[in-house]
Amino acid sequence: MKIGLEIHVQLPTKSKMFCSCPTTDAPAPNTHVCPTCLGMPGSRPVLNKEVLVCGIKLAKMLGCSIADTTWFSRKTYFYPDMCKSVQITQYDHPIGVGGVIYLNGKKPIRITRIHLEEDPGKTKRTSDMYALVDYNRSGIPLAEIVTEPDLATPAEAREFLGQLIQDIKHTLDLENSERSIRCDCNISVGKERCEIKNVTGLKNVETALTYEMVRQIKVLKAGGKIERATMNFDETRGITYGARKKEFEADYGYIDEPDLGIYHIKELADSITIKEAPAKMILRMADQYKIEQKMAKQLVSTSTDLAQFFETVAKEYGTENAVKWVAGPVTGNWKAFSARDGAKTDDILAVIGKFVKGKITDTECGIEIKSVMTGIDASAAAQSSEGLDKLINDYLDQNPGIVNDYKKSDKAANRVIGYVMKQTGGQYTSAEIVESTKKLIEARL
Amino acid sequence: MSDVQTLKDLKKLNEKYEMFNAFCEDGDLGDSKFLFSAKDNLTSSEYETCAGSKILGGYRPVFDATSIANLKQVGGKLVGKTNMDEFGFGTFSTNSAFGVPKNPFDRERSCGGSSGGSACAAAVLDDHLSIGVSTGGSICCPASFCGTYGIVPSYGRVSRYGLIDYGNSLDKIGLLSVDPAKLKEYLPVIAGKDPMDPTSCIQPELKLTGRKMTSVAVPKEAIEGISTDVKNTFLKALEDLKSMGIEVDYVDMPELKYAMPAYYVLATSEASTNLARYVGMRYGQQEGDLTQKFDDYFTSFRSQYFGDEAKRRILLGTYTRMEGFRDRYYAKALQVRMVVIDAYKKMFADHDAVLTPTMPFVSPKFSDISSMSPVESYKADFLTVPANLAGTPHLNCPCGYDGNGMPIGMQFVTDHWNEDQLVTMAMEWDKQFEVRKAEVKV
Repeated sequence: MKIGLEIHVQLPTKSKMFCSCPTTDAPAPNTHVCPTCLGMPGSRPVLNKEVLVCGIKLAKMLGCSIADTTWFSRKTYFYPDMCKSVQITQYDHPIGVGGVIYLNGKKPIRITRIHLEEDPGKTKRTSDMYALVDYNRSGIPLAEIVTEPDLATPAEAREFLGQLIQDIKHTLDLENSERSIRCDCNISVGKERCEIKNVTGLKNVETALTYEMVRQIKVLKAGGKIERATMNFDETRGITYGARKKEFEADYGYIDEPDLGIYHIKELADSITIKEAPAKMILRMADQYKIEQKMAKQLVSTSTDLAQFFETVAKEYGTENAVKWVAGPVTGNWKAFSARDGAKTDDILAVIGKFVKGKITDTECGIEIKSVMTGIDASAAAQSSEGLDKLINDYLDQNPGIVNDYKKSDKAANRVIGYVMKQTGGQYTSAEIVESTKKLIEARL
Repeated sequence: MSDVQTLKDLKKLNEKYEMFNAFCEDGDLGDSKFLFSAKDNLTSSEYETCAGSKILGGYRPVFDATSIANLKQVGGKLVGKTNMDEFGFGTFSTNSAFGVPKNPFDRERSCGGSSGGSACAAAVLDDHLSIGVSTGGSICCPASFCGTYGIVPSYGRVSRYGLIDYGNSLDKIGLLSVDPAKLKEYLPVIAGKDPMDPTSCIQPELKLTGRKMTSVAVPKEAIEGISTDVKNTFLKALEDLKSMGIEVDYVDMPELKYAMPAYYVLATSEASTNLARYVGMRYGQQEGDLTQKFDDYFTSFRSQYFGDEAKRRILLGTYTRMEGFRDRYYAKALQVRMVVIDAYKKMFADHDAVLTPTMPFVSPKFSDISSMSPVESYKADFLTVPANLAGTPHLNCPCGYDGNGMPIGMQFVTDHWNEDQLVTMAMEWDKQFEVRKAEVKV
């Protein structure tokens, strides 16, 4: 089985790709529009250079080679939400080609290309007879990332997409943005492939691919033939169904976009450096600090800022303290910490420093970290921490078998965690409970 | 005739010559300093803009084309939108959905095309300036047939913002007038960088310094297969140029013959994508059976409202960019364009301009046009197409009249961005050549 993805990422520019309309949420349909993004006769496109910058960043992140020149093409197809019946996209000179992403640091997934294009408007069916079109989205810049069919299962596709989306968001500073990421999924069980259009969300990607995989297997088992087709995905029912017959690429009649020139981007590309992608950061950290990849992943996926703090502590006080404190209570309180205004990692670093110099004990350090991170004063934090510890210890006293079970599998801790959560009902974060439970069980080993 | 009188007579003149699609009917001159008209494929907020097509019937743009806005800015009053072949598709302005402009020298004959209405207005109205658009010869052809000067600046010299596209890599906005001083005065007004059209933003500044030509190259290929009247008049004009101190050299430019097929491939490829947006929703004509599916709706709509020539060029242009044909036609034509540009550059190394007759014959009668095949009428453009394909600036100068009094023109082509010598040529030529005014009776 072969699965390849085409991932559409809305780029975080302030204005649209070819006009000055805003890209923010509009107050009503067809309000963020102008002659250009409505395709009025006589209007023409003017490229927003920021789109090239985003494209170059993503191309670098994907390890693509970036040519010295790039330009745009016209792709012709008739659809009511495509106001010019022509989409400005990239065809034979995309911004990047030939990259690779390593899934979990191991399996190479080849990237065919990344190109830039404009988003069409949105069509909304209101009844059998009518549909409404909203052009607010028309002209929003998109990057389309196309992978080779290197993914082996729907689950793997989901995992890859999750990793890729995290990398994309980090590279483009999209963490807190509403930009959508949509996906076209190509899957072939036999020879011919089908394309499922416009799937949003990781879970949906897996569901749609699984459904389509089963459908294709059934067709083949019954002695049928898979026909190349475009499918839609029904989110509520979790099924795919046939859409229009797939037009083969070239029927789009690509020509060069004559209203836009050739862009010489070498200098621009050379001047852009990108942040380390999370997937790469995980691998590097596991390798550099000799920690388990799982721990590195936990840190990075909680927040790259947290992972960076881990590195700061490791540098100042050694990896051991970074593992003990950052992967422990700092991670547990990170959510509360990052939600607070004016909270600084320097304060946490100072607490750890006191511990390292022997000025405070293990327990005190844990309490103080919680205090500086959450803003709860130290005595309350101590009390609450004592309360939690007492609850766990009491439960362990009543159920001594857990400690023995824990020796065989750390899953045994889940019983304690489940109990404590039920008892405390949101008083503590799950990370805190997990951390304290493990600490107290391990103290009894 | 005063501008006030011209405004009063517009309606009657238009009944007689059909040069306008829409025109000023209130007769009010206001504060304006001069009158001008513009081809109907340039958007104007005060008049309907239909580009000669039924499919845009009733379309009132929400913005002015940059060239129109610039002329208004310096005190111009836009008096009308001139009639044209549908989207610029034609040589005789007979492919318009809104009547056919009549030649001021003989109403049985064509004004040329596709800016036929502009040339007609320039020839008929006193002291008039008209904006035309040239893709493959649409300014020089009608200027030649109607006996006016017509200048097509370099590709990218005048912003195309507000131009309803035919072939975006070929379309050039220029001016027509019987008075070359008007070209000199207003070309700098419409020229210049415009952030709304990126292709206008790489131009060097337009400087009209009065630099004269000293030598011209006449390709031998250009005086074969043309009518005797045109040939004799042209040869006589060459003698006049020599007497003005200009050296005339006959040269070979075999590359010119490749320009025509390359032009039609590129122009129709681009046109077929430009015309894709006309699907009967959003603007223009929208009468159609809404109970149909979208594909059926726009198919029947386009079948009904596009003219035959538009359909022909959509078919041609769609074919030449299809997979399996794109390399053979579209990509090849892009290469040929470079060959033609190189051929011109070679000429400009030793000469200021390449000179040919503008059209191979004088304006034909409508009765003769109706019996011409599409290919025959495409071929009529063989002298105007090469410079248009190359994007080099060019100029029609009236240079004589045949036995029936029909105008004959010659065409100067200079290097990219060298409009200076063309404008000077027009001014110099006008000193010794008397342009005949058509007899216009209201």
